[in-house]
Amino acid sequence: MSYALRGEAVPGRPTGLQLALAAALLCVGLLGTWQLRAERSIRAALRIPSQRLEELTFLLQEQARQREELESHIAALRERLSRTEEVATRDRGALQALQRRLEALRLAAGVEPLRGPGVVVELRDSPKPLAEGEDPNLVLVHYTDVQAVVATLWGAGAEAVAVNGERVVSTTGLTCVGTTILCNARRLAPPYVIVALGNPRALAAALEAEDSPLTALRAFGLPVRVATGQDLRVPAYRGGFQFRFAQVDRP
Amino acid sequence: MWLPLAGLLVGVLLGLVVGVEIPLGLVKYTAIAVLAALDTLLGGLRAQLEGRFDLVVFTSGFLVNTSFAALLTAIGDLLGVDVYLGAVIVFSMRIFNNVSFIRRDLLRGFAREAVQGAGQPEGR
Repeated sequence: MSYALRGEAVPGRPTGLQLALAAALLCVGLLGTWQLRAERSIRAALRIPSQRLEELTFLLQEQARQREELESHIAALRERLSRTEEVATRDRGALQALQRRLEALRLAAGVEPLRGPGVVVELRDSPKPLAEGEDPNLVLVHYTDVQAVVATLWGAGAEAVAVNGERVVSTTGLTCVGTTILCNARRLAPPYVIVALGNPRALAAALEAEDSPLTALRAFGLPVRVATGQDLRVPAYRGGFQFRFAQVDRP
Repeated sequence: MWLPLAGLLVGVLLGLVVGVEIPLGLVKYTAIAVLAALDTLLGGLRAQLEGRFDLVVFTSGFLVNTSFAALLTAIGDLLGVDVYLGAVIVFSMRIFNNVSFIRRDLLRGFAREAVQGAGQPEGR
């Protein structure tokens, strides 16, 4: 050893230097051992040098943050999806209700062709030749007669009525134009075939009643025929509806 | 010289027996502290060889350098500056310097002893 390190004032007694060195080395040994152990445990656990630990920690935190962000994004999207689905089902329900209502209204308006049981009434002008001085009105079928029959059928519970293939709807008016009848802006000529859908027995009973318009027509000798059917057809109303003056009055 | 070596031995044994787990985040700082302690130790040795060893200076230097090195590294990390690297370089340089000085001094001492042990053959 060097002469300087041997400087013992009293042989056998440690100097301040030796004590200090011993204490310092003790600290270094302790700290170094702990350090080595920590380093080794890190390496054993992660198989990476501790210098990269910082960087990797940062990366990990970054990734965790990103994942959290994406997860919240997913959650938001899921919620949006479920909300949209909810709205869609609600809309679908509303749409179905509207469609059902539309269907009913189309039926009521008469813009759908219909089929079903009912009665057929045929009115003809009188076939016998007109005698001298006889009023021709007595042997002709008037629009009022057709109107009366139609009204009777409505009154008996008819659900759809057509005259010579012209559907009678809420705005249909029967008027007289010379020798023909104007119905839905179409001229109808005899014979007048009135088809009404409804309960055939009820309709026929109403037509054969005492006060039925057919009774008067028969009394005048006009050929009138009534037949019931199980599969009659009523065409759709082909015209349009115009409301230029009337407005919806909803409170 | 047995006392310092015994101190080192006791320290290592104590470190092995007392299992203190240094938290992962602090491993970097304790590494610098060990480096600083080593540097101070060698510095003290060198001062002794130069004949200007002061117990108070050595002890305070040991404690302050060690803790301050770790602290500075931690502060550097907080600020995002790699003081760690600077500390490693500086302490390594100083340790090498001290070691080389101690080596030269010891060699000189051995040479002189050898010469004295041979007993001045030519009388000069």
